[in-house]
Amino acid sequence: MISRRSFLAGAGAAGAAVGLGACASSPAAGPNVVSYWGLGAADVDKDNQVIDAFKKTDAGKNAEIYVDQVPSSGVADMSQIITAVRGGTAPDVWWMDRFNGVQNASIGLLEPIDPLIEKYEDVSPEEFKSQWIQFAIDELTYDGTLYGLPSTTDARGLLYNEDVLKDAGVDLGLFDWTKHVITWDELGEACEKIVKIDKKGNYERFGFAPWLSEGWPYTWGFGLDAQAYDNKTSTVTLDSPEWESVYKLYADWAEMYPYASVDAFFATYQPPNAPPSQTAMFSGRLGVDTTGPWQISANEKYAPKLPLKYTYLPVAKEGDPTYTWSGGQCLVIPKGANITKTLWEFMKFYAGYGGQSIVVPQFGNLPTNIKAIQEKKYNPKAEIFRKMLPNSTSRPPLPVGSAMWDTLTRTKSSVALGSSTAKQAVESNQQLIAPKMELFPGYKMPDTYGKPSPIDSK
Amino acid sequence: MSVTDTVGPTAGPPRTINAGGQSAPPPPPRRSRGLNVGQRRKLRTGLLFISPWIIGVLIFIIYPVVYSIALSFTRYSGMEAPTWVGIQNYVTAFTDPMVGKAASNTIFYAIIAVPLGLLIALALAIAMNQNVREVAWYRTIFYAPSLIPAFAMSFIFIVFLNPQFGVFNQVLNLFGGANVNLLGDPTGVKIAIILMAQLGAGNAALIFLAGLRNIPKTIYEAARVDGASPLRQFFAITFPLLSPVLLFNLITGISGSLQVFTEAFIVTNGTGDPDAGALFYMMYLYKNAFGFAELGYASALAVILFLVGLALALLVYWLSRRFVNYDVEAG
Repeated sequence: MISRRSFLAGAGAAGAAVGLGACASSPAAGPNVVSYWGLGAADVDKDNQVIDAFKKTDAGKNAEIYVDQVPSSGVADMSQIITAVRGGTAPDVWWMDRFNGVQNASIGLLEPIDPLIEKYEDVSPEEFKSQWIQFAIDELTYDGTLYGLPSTTDARGLLYNEDVLKDAGVDLGLFDWTKHVITWDELGEACEKIVKIDKKGNYERFGFAPWLSEGWPYTWGFGLDAQAYDNKTSTVTLDSPEWESVYKLYADWAEMYPYASVDAFFATYQPPNAPPSQTAMFSGRLGVDTTGPWQISANEKYAPKLPLKYTYLPVAKEGDPTYTWSGGQCLVIPKGANITKTLWEFMKFYAGYGGQSIVVPQFGNLPTNIKAIQEKKYNPKAEIFRKMLPNSTSRPPLPVGSAMWDTLTRTKSSVALGSSTAKQAVESNQQLIAPKMELFPGYKMPDTYGKPSPIDSK
Repeated sequence: MSVTDTVGPTAGPPRTINAGGQSAPPPPPRRSRGLNVGQRRKLRTGLLFISPWIIGVLIFIIYPVVYSIALSFTRYSGMEAPTWVGIQNYVTAFTDPMVGKAASNTIFYAIIAVPLGLLIALALAIAMNQNVREVAWYRTIFYAPSLIPAFAMSFIFIVFLNPQFGVFNQVLNLFGGANVNLLGDPTGVKIAIILMAQLGAGNAALIFLAGLRNIPKTIYEAARVDGASPLRQFFAITFPLLSPVLLFNLITGISGSLQVFTEAFIVTNGTGDPDAGALFYMMYLYKNAFGFAELGYASALAVILFLVGLALALLVYWLSRRFVNYDVEAG
């Protein structure tokens, strides 16, 4: 029989082993050691390809890079990174949604990049930053200082299923971006032809609704010249007539296609948290959707035989300029990181031409590195989105970006549901966000924000 | 020979009765402060045994609560040093329309989910208390859904409510109606979450069951002899004698309903939409803390929730004096 002393000794040893085991996964900090919170478990192979390529360079030959995958419950949820930074277990470099750059910089979560450029590079920060497309740099600039290096980007357009359009008798020429930019009226008429309703009143096939998928208020706001922030007066302008027209667009379409019926259609054929292969577009039930180039890889993987094509977002009338907006990712250094030359070289490689050339084509996204764009280091099917880039821009880089996004999105569903009018929605948006922005008096976005980002032809 | 007779918890110090039945002279009054060596040793041993709990409460409950109260008077992002803003966060909370929306959603949930949960739990407990041979199986079956984690239950409900393939709509279709997406409607999504919560009624049912089994059978036998019907027995015996258990389940139910989060977070992908219909108070608090990096404001919301919960608990205790019967415990 085991004695009390043996039992206590054994229990103590087991406890110590468990405790030590829990600590064992943390790499010891060193000049060549980099800990990295990567793309996510599904894309770890892409991270590894970049790391392997980096290790073959002179700067990376002695590097030890440890990749961790940290699940997130949403792009705006910072609980994991804040906890890690406060707990002293933050990574040295983190793959982050670029939209959060300014907000995270404003709360002191990120290390500035400018001092590293000055320390390790032979060129001025301005010249160094010119390697990336301007709007991506702007999205990471807070109070004139850069807080990360941009990696991938994207743009928004319409995805359509030629089979569905042909079956409905829609003129495919309207959707051919090389010849024509579709107008809202033309899109509306096409959608009327596509819709099929069963005996019980359910949509069996559906055309398009502006609140679905990437039909965010920002998406249509850029086309209707709705500005969220006035840089001259440093004020929030979410209650402008232009914003009201964005919400009126939702209300008008919801009048024709009631939100509840459209929602039931989507919940049927593309329920929340459905696998990427289960979409209304892939099952031939949806004619047109708002999406971006990231969808290309899913199209190729899950519906390679479907004639899925892209076109520009709809404009008000023939001849109006096209519009879009771009999101994407970046690499940032959280506070408390072990900042070394190896870390800087790895970050520069990953976000530079070398890393983007490896990762971007596999994602179906677009590069932010000018050289990678010029050398077409992306999926050829994303060419239309590549053409959009010079006139694209990011969402406004504001320290209240998440709250603004959240509010705009919520009121989108209010208006589509009919529980508030367009005017009430914009007033509510302004009422919620303006006080938050008042905590940053005199805040200015970069002067270049919203202006074209030229890409010279090589 | 003498015996010690303790009359009750409020009866004062023990009386010493001698063999002749006469009271012995009372011992000299004990000094009000200071313990003898034996008592000190026992106190030390007792404290040592409960020290893990004391340490846990101090570190994981008292410290965060006090820290949260302090943070509620600051502007704090979680990273830089907090900045004192006085009662500004509380002023903002009472003027923020989304707090009103989140609070009304939570009240809607509590008003329906708590009484419904008590009724279902009581019904389950009565079913689990039947004198049949297979009762152990029934108890297991009734309790099993409570073992499913909230996040797993949420995914099950998403499928259950699917407009085309879900059981809910299949039943509706029998009556010829169009498919509905309950999760796409601001009121429907709240009702779905209320229904989801009822699958966890097994926990409260177990507590009711313990209360039911604590009621002496002789009372029922006497009632039957007097000709009381089963319904009369329920309202005259079962319900009054279960009232302490009901009070416990009511308070824990109210507390739980004020903190509803997981199910709403999963079925709405963390948005609380459509139209903030499932934006419960805890979700809004979480969004402010970790989405908008406003931990000071989120702490103020947490303090308000704590005070509201405390006030409701005190109100229920006060009201309970009218309906709670402690005869079983006292007997």
